[in-house]
Amino acid sequence: MADIVLSDVSKSYGQVQVLDSVSMHIKSGEFIVFLGPSGCGKSTLLRMIAGLEEVNGGQIHIGDTRVDQLPPNQRGVAMVFQNYALYPHMTVRENMSFGLQNVGTDKAEIARRVEDAARMLEIGALLERRPSQLSGGQRQRVAIGRAIVREPRAFLLDEPLSNLDASLRVRTRVELAQLHQRIGTTMVFVTHDQTEAMTLASRIVVMNNRRIEQIGTPMEVYSRPASRFVAAFVGSPAMNFLPVSSIAESDGQAVVNAGGVSIATEIPIANLPSGDGLTLGVRPDALKVTAGGSISGVVEIMERLGDRTLVHVRLPDGSLVVAEDGGKSALEPGATVSLAAARSEMHIFDAEGIAYHSS
Amino acid sequence: MTAEALPRSQAVATGSRRDRPLDLIGIVLTALTLLVALASFFPIYWAIITSVKPDGEVISGSNSLWPGRFVFDSYIHIWNNTNIATWYVNSFVTSIVITALVIVSSAGCAYALSQLDFPGRRIIYVLILACFMVPMQALIVNHFVLMAQFKLLNTWAGIILPQLIVPVVIIVYKQFFDSVPKEFREAAQMDSAGHFKILFRIYLPMNWGVTAALAIITFIGAWNSFLWPFLAATGEATMTVPVGITQVKDAYGIVYGKLMASAVVAGLPVAIVYLIFQRRVTQAIMLSAGVKG
Repeated sequence: MADIVLSDVSKSYGQVQVLDSVSMHIKSGEFIVFLGPSGCGKSTLLRMIAGLEEVNGGQIHIGDTRVDQLPPNQRGVAMVFQNYALYPHMTVRENMSFGLQNVGTDKAEIARRVEDAARMLEIGALLERRPSQLSGGQRQRVAIGRAIVREPRAFLLDEPLSNLDASLRVRTRVELAQLHQRIGTTMVFVTHDQTEAMTLASRIVVMNNRRIEQIGTPMEVYSRPASRFVAAFVGSPAMNFLPVSSIAESDGQAVVNAGGVSIATEIPIANLPSGDGLTLGVRPDALKVTAGGSISGVVEIMERLGDRTLVHVRLPDGSLVVAEDGGKSALEPGATVSLAAARSEMHIFDAEGIAYHSS
Repeated sequence: MTAEALPRSQAVATGSRRDRPLDLIGIVLTALTLLVALASFFPIYWAIITSVKPDGEVISGSNSLWPGRFVFDSYIHIWNNTNIATWYVNSFVTSIVITALVIVSSAGCAYALSQLDFPGRRIIYVLILACFMVPMQALIVNHFVLMAQFKLLNTWAGIILPQLIVPVVIIVYKQFFDSVPKEFREAAQMDSAGHFKILFRIYLPMNWGVTAALAIITFIGAWNSFLWPFLAATGEATMTVPVGITQVKDAYGIVYGKLMASAVVAGLPVAIVYLIFQRRVTQAIMLSAGVKG
């Protein structure tokens, strides 16, 4: 196990900059998830840690060793690829042994490590099969097994669940979390799926447009997003955004006029910038359908999810917001409802997208 | 309702390809194909038939398509009176060595062009493509002078070396290596494999079908090669089979029965290879035809 430290790491392809001065410290044993939309540079960053992409600027340290000039096999990391990259002409056992054979590991030691990993991943019965004879989930386990036998200082996983069907993905996600708990090795996981990020990560690194938007625990990223991008990208259904038309003060806290209604927040007004372009953000789970709520509107669409119902409500100024009601909601489209917003869960974003939260 | 009872467009849409009755164009094309096949096969048939006819019948001028009597005197004659066994050994050795060296060197060259990033890569690839424009015949004098200066005429090395230039094999390999997802190379790099190991343990086994096809077509080409071995091997001890059969004559000049017998014997390994690996040969011809455009 080892810390991974990135210092001002940059990457460009010719004139195109794909990563701009990225710095972070991944602590030993952490499960870090790089989350972001396609093209944000998350996979490139992972590949730079692996040594599969050249670093144009900055430094990468794994443990006490500076590794950005070292070839991939000398960095002490193992990688699981999105398409698994299992050698199709080799059996599972040969796939798992190949790396160890190349570094001259003793045959008995190779056999022991392969057997141990196979037992841990419950693929012992598959050792003599070829990848073409395995299901997607089994291939995924073999790819992880191939990484485990090398006993690396860190695992790098590049969207390893994206080729699995929905139910298998959920199961494998849980198994991956259990595996991390068991072996405790540093894991760096790339995904664009926020559910994977939220459920697996010790900390999430949200990336957008060549740089890091926010690093935090899943609940920090969800509850106190650093920017409008993070607020919009994390959470399903997405956060509601309403343009702020005016701000008033009540006990030092902002009361905003948004969506044609007045909404009280716990955000200190002194923290807010002056000028136009502010936006109020509130998550659907912080906007409840309730009798006597201060915000009224007309129900347009109902999404019944079983344990809760998402209610799409048209506000007086014509804006549409998503609110939550109970699973057995009796509402129907066309009904007038009142909504209550949790004051402590309001967010305001300035014109640059910087977030302001309650203190 | 049968396909025949349907309007033509519907019959095409609903019937499988096999169920569809042949139309007039189909019948004409099939007949034409059959004719071309017969015309192509006839010389082989004629050679075999001539080789088992008695000498008298061959020189009598009768053009019968079936021998009056089957004799194997011609085969016995060439076995007893020529160096055909030596020619066979020479052909086998040179063809196998050429095949092995062409496959290994072309795969290595193609891997470098496909997977490695080095200055001049594109220029080298363009030069290899340009080799198509220079026919072997245009280089034959240079090759002869070069081999003579190295004192390699009438040696296996002299026959082999100029035949190692087969750009089409490099280009076919490069196309296949380009199509292998780069994650396999990266996974192997993470597994501490160097480029030689990646080529020989990962890329070549993954493209085994292509290697087999290219090896077969290279072997057939090397076995059938005539012009260069004819110039490079002037002594009977180093002649290959196609060159050696030009020596099959007696005091009365060309003896067709014996000549045809030696031609049949010369073509036998290629025919056997073709019959065993028919699908691979077809695949190889299609691969190289795709490259040549």
